Amino acid sequence: MIVKDAVCPFCGCLCDDIEVEVEGNRVVAVTNACELGMTKFMGEKRLKNPILRVENEWKDITYDEAIRYAADMLLSAERPLLYGWSGTHGEAQCVGVHMAELIHGVIDNTSSVCHGPSILAIQEVGHPGCTLGVVKNRADLVIYWGSNPIDAHPRHLSRYTRYAEGFFLENAFRDRKVIVVDVRKTETANIADEFVQIKPGGDYAVLSALRAIVQGKTDTIPRTVAGVTREQLIRVANLCKSAKFGAVYFGLGLTMTQGKYKNIRNAIEFISELNRHTKFTISAMRGHYNVYGSNEVNTWMTGYPFGIDFSRGIAFYNPGETTAVDILARKECDAALIVGSDPAAHFPRKCLEHLAEIPVVQLDPYPNATTAFCNVQIPVAVTGIDAEGTAYRMDGVPIRTRRVLSTDYLSDEEVLSRMYALMQEEPRP
Amino acid sequence: MSFLMITGRTVNQGVTVENKTSPEYAAETSTCFMHEFDMMELGLDDGDAIRVTGPCGDVVMRAAASLEVEMGTVFVPYGPYANHIVAAGTRSTGMPDFKSHEVEIEPTDEEPKLVHKLMEDLGGLAYDR
Ligand code: SF4
Repeated sequence: MIVKDAVCPFCGCLCDDIEVEVEGNRVVAVTNACELGMTKFMGEKRLKNPILRVENEWKDITYDEAIRYAADMLLSAERPLLYGWSGTHGEAQCVGVHMAELIHGVIDNTSSVCHGPSILAIQEVGHPGCTLGVVKNRADLVIYWGSNPIDAHPRHLSRYTRYAEGFFLENAFRDRKVIVVDVRKTETANIADEFVQIKPGGDYAVLSALRAIVQGKTDTIPRTVAGVTREQLIRVANLCKSAKFGAVYFGLGLTMTQGKYKNIRNAIEFISELNRHTKFTISAMRGHYNVYGSNEVNTWMTGYPFGIDFSRGIAFYNPGETTAVDILARKECDAALIVGSDPAAHFPRKCLEHLAEIPVVQLDPYPNATTAFCNVQIPVAVTGIDAEGTAYRMDGVPIRTRRVLSTDYLSDEEVLSRMYALMQEEPRP
Repeated sequence: MSFLMITGRTVNQGVTVENKTSPEYAAETSTCFMHEFDMMELGLDDGDAIRVTGPCGDVVMRAAASLEVEMGTVFVPYGPYANHIVAAGTRSTGMPDFKSHEVEIEPTDEEPKLVHKLMEDLGGLAYDR
């Protein structure tokens, strides 16, 4: 059987034109997806049943036992952490928020270690963004700043920018300029019309210099700024000013370096400056499948996008205090529920040392690095492959994902709802 | 020698990320991409083991020459190896300094550990069935 127009569950591009060939309950071929998406669809080695760690051994247990364990663990914790959520659907994320509120826990998603700083900047100065379709059809200048789509979002260039046809561009490949700004000369830099190589940590200064040039204060610019020559800065500023419609896509090169959210604030303010001359937008290259959705769901339900602490009975948010890395590094939480993410592979070691000391339950289809720190791991359907639901694309467009396989695995939403139902039965103080 | 360590995505990291117990994932995330001249300075050939020491400990990786990084900078794909030495401080943002860490690099005879072993060293229990 061939399933057409399936949605790829790997990165924030959420490509919705994938063709998947299914035989029995296995994916045998995938067309249109990039290498990352293809490997995701073809994924094997799933965990077969829930597992429980007893001393130094793993024991197979039933779903009922695993769900009971998780509910009891969360109910008896004083400061539980509910982390992850980017690899799952909005429907499951909703249950997570309700659960966190019920047990006065902290709920955080993986954006705290990817585009959390971008959101902090957007809270300060707003977000002049647009959908990917607008960029594809209108943009005659695209800037990738601190992002490397060839490795991280391989089809971004062919679906929306460099290699994409545009309705309002006669010859998109010729008429659309691409500028890449990075500290490394990546593959993406090689296909750019202009590559701006910055010294590590110099993004803020370069953005300030570009802002000054756009404001007409070219005289104030020194000979080089963070390794970029004055001539190149002027050339880039002029390219931006003379574009009809420009779009900036920034990545973790801005959010993870010195300055963090202040870099992005400066980038947004540069775009505001350009909007006095022409039309410009700026957006984050969201990496992990439905990470955008976790920000959306958390925001509609609590008012805050990530790092939400219910310990006072109401939602409280303070990044750096109520975010997962900080809570684990301070050894503050006494239980952790991990859904749709693998913190053991992506968090600094100090956080893992604490995960090793507290009870941990993870919902994930595959054994991964976090499995080693679990007391219980519950295998679930792979979101977007054998479970369907809503995911948000990197430009904030919600997409109903499809189910291409049928398996007996429960979805994240089903497992979480059963846990939540058990938790609601307990009398509240 | 001191270097600035930057971490980031690579296609291979993305392809192997769903199978973290595989040797391919371990090989990719324990690769430290360096400038050829820096490798020469340290007497390293492609694939030689190196000890990378960060603010909270050290980890063994393998050096690989890359045209993409500047001298004085090294690039390591996201994963448990880089995170073994990254500090957990977030400067009130929730985000560790994943792309701005000073590290020391020296040649070593030790082999990089497997992901399982790294996790067990921190108190975990590997699952491999
Ligand atoms: S670009 Fe992203 S969403 Fe599209 S196929 Fe590749 S991994 Fe999947």
